Amino acid sequence: MSDVSPLPTSKRPMPREIGSGVWWLGDCLGQLYNGKIYHGYNAAHMVVGTTAAILSDTGHPKDFPVIEKHIEHVLARNPGVPLRYLFLTHQETPHSGGLGRLLARFPELEVVGDVSDYHLAFPQYEHRMRSLGEGEAIQLGGREFQIVEPVVRDLRTSNWGFDTKTRCLFPGDGFAYSHYHWDGHCGMVAEEATSLDLVDVCAVFQERALFWTTFVDMERYVERMEWQMQRLGVRLVAPSHGLPVTDLERTWPEIRKGLLAGEGKFDDVVKAASDSQTHAS
Amino acid sequence: MSGATITEVVKDKVYCLHNPLLLDGRLSAYPKRARGWSSSNCYILKEPEGAYMLDTGYSAHQKSIIAQLDQVLDRRTPLTLFPLRITEYMSVGNALAISCAFNVRECYATTIDALLWLDLESASPREVPDVASKVLRGELMLDPSGCGRRCIVAFNAPIRLLNTAWMYDEVSKVLFSSDMFTHVCSDKAEGPWIGGDDGVTSNAFVRAFLLNTGFWWLEGARCDPLRKNLRQVFETYDIEMICPGYGAILKGREVVKKQFDVLDAVLSDLDRSKVHGRYIPPDLVR
Repeated sequence: MSDVSPLPTSKRPMPREIGSGVWWLGDCLGQLYNGKIYHGYNAAHMVVGTTAAILSDTGHPKDFPVIEKHIEHVLARNPGVPLRYLFLTHQETPHSGGLGRLLARFPELEVVGDVSDYHLAFPQYEHRMRSLGEGEAIQLGGREFQIVEPVVRDLRTSNWGFDTKTRCLFPGDGFAYSHYHWDGHCGMVAEEATSLDLVDVCAVFQERALFWTTFVDMERYVERMEWQMQRLGVRLVAPSHGLPVTDLERTWPEIRKGLLAGEGKFDDVVKAASDSQTHAS
Repeated sequence: MSGATITEVVKDKVYCLHNPLLLDGRLSAYPKRARGWSSSNCYILKEPEGAYMLDTGYSAHQKSIIAQLDQVLDRRTPLTLFPLRITEYMSVGNALAISCAFNVRECYATTIDALLWLDLESASPREVPDVASKVLRGELMLDPSGCGRRCIVAFNAPIRLLNTAWMYDEVSKVLFSSDMFTHVCSDKAEGPWIGGDDGVTSNAFVRAFLLNTGFWWLEGARCDPLRKNLRQVFETYDIEMICPGYGAILKGREVVKKQFDVLDAVLSDLDRSKVHGRYIPPDLVR
């Protein structure tokens, strides 16, 4: 698979408020796969309370100008509520690479959550990093942003977030799937993208980016996700790499199938890779 | 910086720029309970006509790495960057700074538009140097000499968590294994960072290291395809040294064989034919 276009491609107005005070920010990146252009998001989300706002993930480093504009748009609609906190699901650059620029742009911003590695990646901001663990929460005024168990994760230092007001889950790499540029899905929530084959795009994403999921018994992870969503009373899902899910009852069954469809995909990838020996030009 | 050293791995051919990593529970690459020191390793593969740099280190080590580079490389030498883990800070942290200071012509990565993944700091696109992005896909034959004298192969890692490449240098017989074989640390910031029998590599130790870091998912997984891929690497390349992206360098043919044998045995024991697959909760210490 090759990436074909780094230019902004979303055709729906962004940022988009997907729940009361929960905003979807960012842009998607085109990827060519099997002759089709799939798009994938590296999204960020803002949750706005009465006294503070939090940003969950930073988006891809290249998207900082877009993310910055989106943040300003949200803040303009919520005068008097500062962006105080930056929560990062994990230490991969597409999720946290905007940290340096954001801390420079917003002097009151504090990084919260598992802050491993960032003291080495952005040492000039170590004094603005606060370690918080699963079960701890940030008060935003009228709502809490909780740090919850990261069921589907890669690095051991991953975390997910949860907004108590809208019951919105911020699962980082969980619920990861591409969408179809050719059908105008960019900027849609999952339920609006009626032509999206969730089973297909989930499996593609797993094969492409969540290598480990093609080796394990994903049924166990899916069961745990269902347990967690029930325990928290999740009603809305804001993934970093997928379209937001606003109707879990309708959409989760297809995502579930997609998460289970990726097993064994690695074998095909390896065979294809070993068939393609090339020389550098 | 205390603990920053340079190892001449192979005279005039391969250098390792070591910078210290304090193990205090705050590194995602190490078990939370690991203590002591490790080394973040950036490798320079040199020929008179050009050089390759494998990984660029954390931003915290920027001054040290630039100073170390100045000791092994002329700033005019054409330099190609290979961030072997394109989404990780230890690989990309100083790519931009190095590109501004040295004669960086190209960057190879497992994605296209590599520069988009390396720039974590510039305030303006004008500050980004003009470096050609090249894609590292499948098995790629490379040569920093440009005249057939130095054959280097880059390929997708046979076992990985994130987007990862390995490389093999035919002249030095070194395997650059990125985030695998990284378990040998030290109780001192200065190392030692190169050696033979490390005194820790055992099935139990490697198993615990993998399961308490980014390879936490191996327990009860389908490990046989991974074993097959690793065996293929061992049998394909004549390896006399393993140079990991962090941790001590492992030197000697017998040492290399032991590393692969132990890893194979660990994967065999973790395979779902022997261990029932289950949900692995975060922070489970094994």
